[in-house]
Amino acid sequence: MNYRTFVASQSILMTASSMVFPFYLLLIRNIGDSYSQFGLAYGLFALTAALTHPIIGRLSDKIGDRSLLLLYTWGMAGVMIIVPLIETISALYILQIIMGILGAVQKTTEKTALARQTAGQHTGQKIGNYHLWTSVWGAVAVMATGYLIDFLTIGSLFYIASFLYMISAVILMRSDYILKDQMKEKPVQP
Amino acid sequence: MLKIKWLLLCLIIYVTAFYFSLHVYSRQSVTITAEDAGRLLPVRMKYFRGVHSTKEIQQWVKEAHETGETISIAGMQHSQGGHTLYPNGTLLNMTGYSKILKFNPQEKKITVQSGVTWADIQEKINSYGLSVKVMQSQNIFTVGGSLSVNVHGRDIRYGSLIDSVDSFRLLTPDGKIINVSRKENSELFPFVIGGYGLFGVILDVTLELADDELYQHRSAEMDYRDYENYFKEKVKQDDSVKMHLARISVASETFLKEMYVTDYVLADQQNIKENYTELKEEQMIALPKFMLGVSRYSDWGKDLLWKTQKEYFIKNDGKYETRNNVMRSDSEFMEYENPNRTEVLQEYFVPVDQFAEYINDLRAVLEKEELNLLNITIRYVGHDEDAVLSYAKNDMFALVMLINQGRSEQDIQATEKVLQKLIDVTLDHDGSFYLPYYSYPSDKQLKRAYPRIEEFFEKKREFDPEERFKNLFYERYGQ
Repeated sequence: MNYRTFVASQSILMTASSMVFPFYLLLIRNIGDSYSQFGLAYGLFALTAALTHPIIGRLSDKIGDRSLLLLYTWGMAGVMIIVPLIETISALYILQIIMGILGAVQKTTEKTALARQTAGQHTGQKIGNYHLWTSVWGAVAVMATGYLIDFLTIGSLFYIASFLYMISAVILMRSDYILKDQMKEKPVQP
Repeated sequence: MLKIKWLLLCLIIYVTAFYFSLHVYSRQSVTITAEDAGRLLPVRMKYFRGVHSTKEIQQWVKEAHETGETISIAGMQHSQGGHTLYPNGTLLNMTGYSKILKFNPQEKKITVQSGVTWADIQEKINSYGLSVKVMQSQNIFTVGGSLSVNVHGRDIRYGSLIDSVDSFRLLTPDGKIINVSRKENSELFPFVIGGYGLFGVILDVTLELADDELYQHRSAEMDYRDYENYFKEKVKQDDSVKMHLARISVASETFLKEMYVTDYVLADQQNIKENYTELKEEQMIALPKFMLGVSRYSDWGKDLLWKTQKEYFIKNDGKYETRNNVMRSDSEFMEYENPNRTEVLQEYFVPVDQFAEYINDLRAVLEKEELNLLNITIRYVGHDEDAVLSYAKNDMFALVMLINQGRSEQDIQATEKVLQKLIDVTLDHDGSFYLPYYSYPSDKQLKRAYPRIEEFFEKKREFDPEERFKNLFYERYGQ
């Protein structure tokens, strides 16, 4: 995984997440019929994220950022195809817990990967660059969705997001493959 | 190669899951929950159709005709008795069907698609010195919705909305488009206006307009026993009074005793009208919203709201305002989003001469019962039996009550118990009640208030034998 593919895959997943976020909020509000349920759903997300952060941090040192990022992208691709189906508040709570864990995975690995990618050189510049592109894509997605939602159902929005997460995962998986190829080829080149 | 295998495996699992999810979703998404402004009737509908063109509506009505599905027609959905909803049916959202088709300032007529709101019309005609004849006090509603409930408003000279309708086009249950006016297909005219969406889709409407005039507010405070005479002598007989609005206290200290009134009197100097013609926008939301909020939960809040409101209105005595601006009263501050509670309306009509005794009887009931009554606005509507479901069998005062209540089954039952008593009191005074609200009235009460209700439903079944246009109001009372 090199810096470019990392930024590309992160940009795609940012696109996906900013696209569905406002509608996900709406969904939570519609399923929960009181603000206390809304609060609990959000609290569960934040709390599981908080509790899993240290574990994920350690895990990332052991198994590497790439595997965790793959877990996140595939995980979210899966979650997004479940979201349109849920109808009950308890299903929503479970989903919030899963998303809490996955969210923590993303938050931690995003940082560890960036730190390892830059390896002390031009760190600020690279992080700046990283945030530029991921945020630009996020912003574009939010605006585009505003227009698209007139033509799409909210359900199909989640499916599109899932598809984007899947692409992001595939890019990550492919990238390593290419990288290894190049590494093999490298010694041949003088 | 191992990586490719993994990638393929993941993709296969993903595609399978995706397909499975989509399969389940496409079956499940046949239902969408919809609600009207009363928020007591969440209903699962099959389709939500945002209407933009006549062709689309015609197409959907024909499709429904073939598949045997039902259609409910929705504007702003401020009717509160499920008039825009029916389980597993198609909801036609008319708000996008909103073009102004023709406007003739000389003839004082305007033709609009039924999803146009009063606000749209006001913006169009204000600069021509014209104004709507009859509409609600607020301008957020669609013309089609207003026609379907045959509204009335602050105006005291032009009657109910039906009186200002020239003609309209109706899309019938079998997908045909017909003109309806007092001359053409005239038998339908009094059924479709005040027809609660049961006869077809009102496509476009030609309305008669009035001159925009400059009014001067005339406000006064009075005891409820003096109101009838005040109205008869100072308002009704004085042709220069064009609009009228009153409030009676729901605050504990002055409960159903103290009143204040505002008359809108044609100003002597119409030449200064130009200074006031700019259409006003709602500005102060936070303060009234806060005060209304406090009044929901406490008696002192109600007292405070009453005093402030009264002072505010009395202070406006002598103020100049154009007719158009009087007809765009604030509404945003009333929006209420508590998930467990809601605010419902009731409107009772009582003959002018029976007002004081009626209020005494209402008070007697309300002092014994639990009801979180937040506001009562009083307006006047002259005798008018043009519509089959006419509420003004006499010259009537119309009392609109704003009630805060819970959304649970028990809450609904508790409110029903009290409201049925209030309705009995109203009917005993030869009164009537308005139909766009939650189905609290019993069948018996409905029959007493609307002697022609059977005729109305029979005509509905005759005109729409397959019951293509259906809503919860029809289901509750008509079947």
